Amino acid sequence: MARKKKSISETSTELVEDSAAVIEAVEEKQAYPELAECLSKLNERLEVLGYILRDTNAATINLKEPEKIVEYAILGSEALEAGQEISQLFNLGEFRCAIVERKETKALCFLINENRINVFMKKDADHAEILSNVRE
Amino acid sequence: MNNEAYTFALDNTIREIKNVCPEVTNIFIFEENAHTIAKDQNTDQYAINRTVDAFNAIKEKAETSDSFEALTIEGSEGRVNIAPINNFYLATVTSREADDKFVSSLTRILVPTVVKLVDQLHPADLRSNDTFMAAEEELVEEPLQEPMQEPSEYAYEKETLEEAEQVEHETSVVEEDSVGEVAESVNEVHVEDVEENGLVLPEPPVSQVIVESLGRFQLKSDTVRIDDSIISLWNELYGDRTILEVDLDALNGKTVRCKFSHIKDSKYQGKGVIQMPDKIQAALETCKGKLIEVKPVVE
Repeated sequence: MARKKKSISETSTELVEDSAAVIEAVEEKQAYPELAECLSKLNERLEVLGYILRDTNAATINLKEPEKIVEYAILGSEALEAGQEISQLFNLGEFRCAIVERKETKALCFLINENRINVFMKKDADHAEILSNVRE
Repeated sequence: MNNEAYTFALDNTIREIKNVCPEVTNIFIFEENAHTIAKDQNTDQYAINRTVDAFNAIKEKAETSDSFEALTIEGSEGRVNIAPINNFYLATVTSREADDKFVSSLTRILVPTVVKLVDQLHPADLRSNDTFMAAEEELVEEPLQEPMQEPSEYAYEKETLEEAEQVEHETSVVEEDSVGEVAESVNEVHVEDVEENGLVLPEPPVSQVIVESLGRFQLKSDTVRIDDSIISLWNELYGDRTILEVDLDALNGKTVRCKFSHIKDSKYQGKGVIQMPDKIQAALETCKGKLIEVKPVVE
């Protein structure tokens, strides 16, 4: 299956607004290389469809279906923002994660420090195990 | 269907869910258009509106290439789950101590059951209300339009199957045009009935019986004789309600409303037969040995 991995210096919102930013991606050093490495290992699993990792100045996108980059980037960004907002509205304490379940797939969206992480996986994947794996 | 009926039923359901499971801190049900169907007292409308807006934004993005199923948000002190249930969305907020599987099982069984129950109750009310109104209109209109065409002894004959279908079609058109108004009035009637009487009358049971002739020279030509077991079933169902007449439906679509009494001849008791004067047989275009349906007219 075709794979796409690139690091870019734009946030996901900018990704959507300006697709040229995706094409003209600039390699930058990740602030948390161990996190990127962990996600990269996770991506080798069959049930994982890919991930998007964003920190303050770079984004790493690694998707098994690169044509879905825009869809996944928007979904991940929206889920994180909405998750944080709803979390505050109902006093859920510190935001841990948002899980968007769809018929075939699901998205796990969470924060580690200033890193915004979206992991996309098949519906039957164990998102709790993946989350604890990355958080370790 | 008007949402008031759902609100009435689901508000109570939500209250019970919170009683059973105190770890559920907030719970509300909303429609896709953001209209709130039911909510618990702890949840303010502002929080619901913001949640629904955020949820709709995610749902819209999630449905690009796959159909949306559920959203879960986890915090250090609790979690929010929003999932579709029937035509609505159920949002539950639980504390960290909650047993998520228990809450999920409880809500995903209880809420759809109540929604289904309301769905089942109200179309039945709507239909019986329309049928009743149509029958009333006919009773008023028939003598004015064609006063001399029917023989006086068959004046109790009702519409044919074709006419009934036409009425049904017309009422369904009216339903589509002003479904809100009709449903609202039905809901009001239903809620009042439930509140005042504590129950809703069951639909009249339909019994299939075989026609037996009562004889050509019976004095009461507008009265059929029915098995005691059928009459006692009606009495059990409707208690003190008065049942003076029955509706007879022949399989050819002919319908007659007439008086009834008990079968006096013991050899016909418990045989599933109806004794019928020749004139009513003629009106129904049926005869001895044919199957017809009988149901009580409950006052």
